[in-house]
Amino acid sequence: MPSDPPLALGPFRLRVDPARAAAYAQETGGDGASVPLAYPAVWLAEPSLFSVVQDVCAKRDVVPVHESQSFFYDAPLVAGESYDLSVTMSSEETPPRLTMVGTVATPEGEPCARIETILRLVPRAGFGSAS
Amino acid sequence: MSDPIKVGDILPETVIGPFDAPSLVRYAEVSGDANPLHLDDAVAAAIGLAAPPVHGMKLLAAFEPMLRAWRGDLVIASIAGKFVQPILRGETVRLSGRVLRATENEIFVRLVAYGAARAPGIVGEATLRPRLAT
Repeated sequence: MPSDPPLALGPFRLRVDPARAAAYAQETGGDGASVPLAYPAVWLAEPSLFSVVQDVCAKRDVVPVHESQSFFYDAPLVAGESYDLSVTMSSEETPPRLTMVGTVATPEGEPCARIETILRLVPRAGFGSAS
Repeated sequence: MSDPIKVGDILPETVIGPFDAPSLVRYAEVSGDANPLHLDDAVAAAIGLAAPPVHGMKLLAAFEPMLRAWRGDLVIASIAGKFVQPILRGETVRLSGRVLRATENEIFVRLVAYGAARAPGIVGEATLRPRLAT
């Protein structure tokens, strides 16, 4: 059951930092030869985006718990290149969760990927200072 | 030429971890996911976990090299996972895969990650396609 109208965020101009992509590959078992498919996960932690999630959670006194994650690719991301990430964030009450659907496109508008993040919203009690 | 892929084919199992605290700190730094649940024993204990859980994304992302090692002639078009239950720091993780659908143009693989528990930690899926000739 939707509780709030979907919120459109962005587009955010973001770059695949080659060093960060290589480090991400190293920490996830990859060889660094290409940008990891899961690399856009780092963009979701960007303050400009994640601060919106934090605001929603603060208002509801909940913490977000990563429930599921999906990546669908039309074209691979390229290290050093910039992309535009646009996100639609919607919320549900039963069960309480946030769904973020992001589209990644080149600055020229060519679609590259679609990402979906579902965050379960859990009462803060018991989570200490987790955020 | 690679062997044809059939429904029911089992991917070679990949074993990763166990991941220690510095490994989780490094992932937190590179990913930006600094949720203390993954880094602080006291926060994990407060919700009844014996140790901090490994970031689900760190584990989901580990399926990519497994899939590439299996069939480098295919392109991974999508990868997805549900984080069903936590896999904890210090647990060895087994990544498995099984082909559920196979056509000329698309291979659909069920992915499962197991930690120490019998139940899966991650249940996921991937779609792979033939690499286009250039």
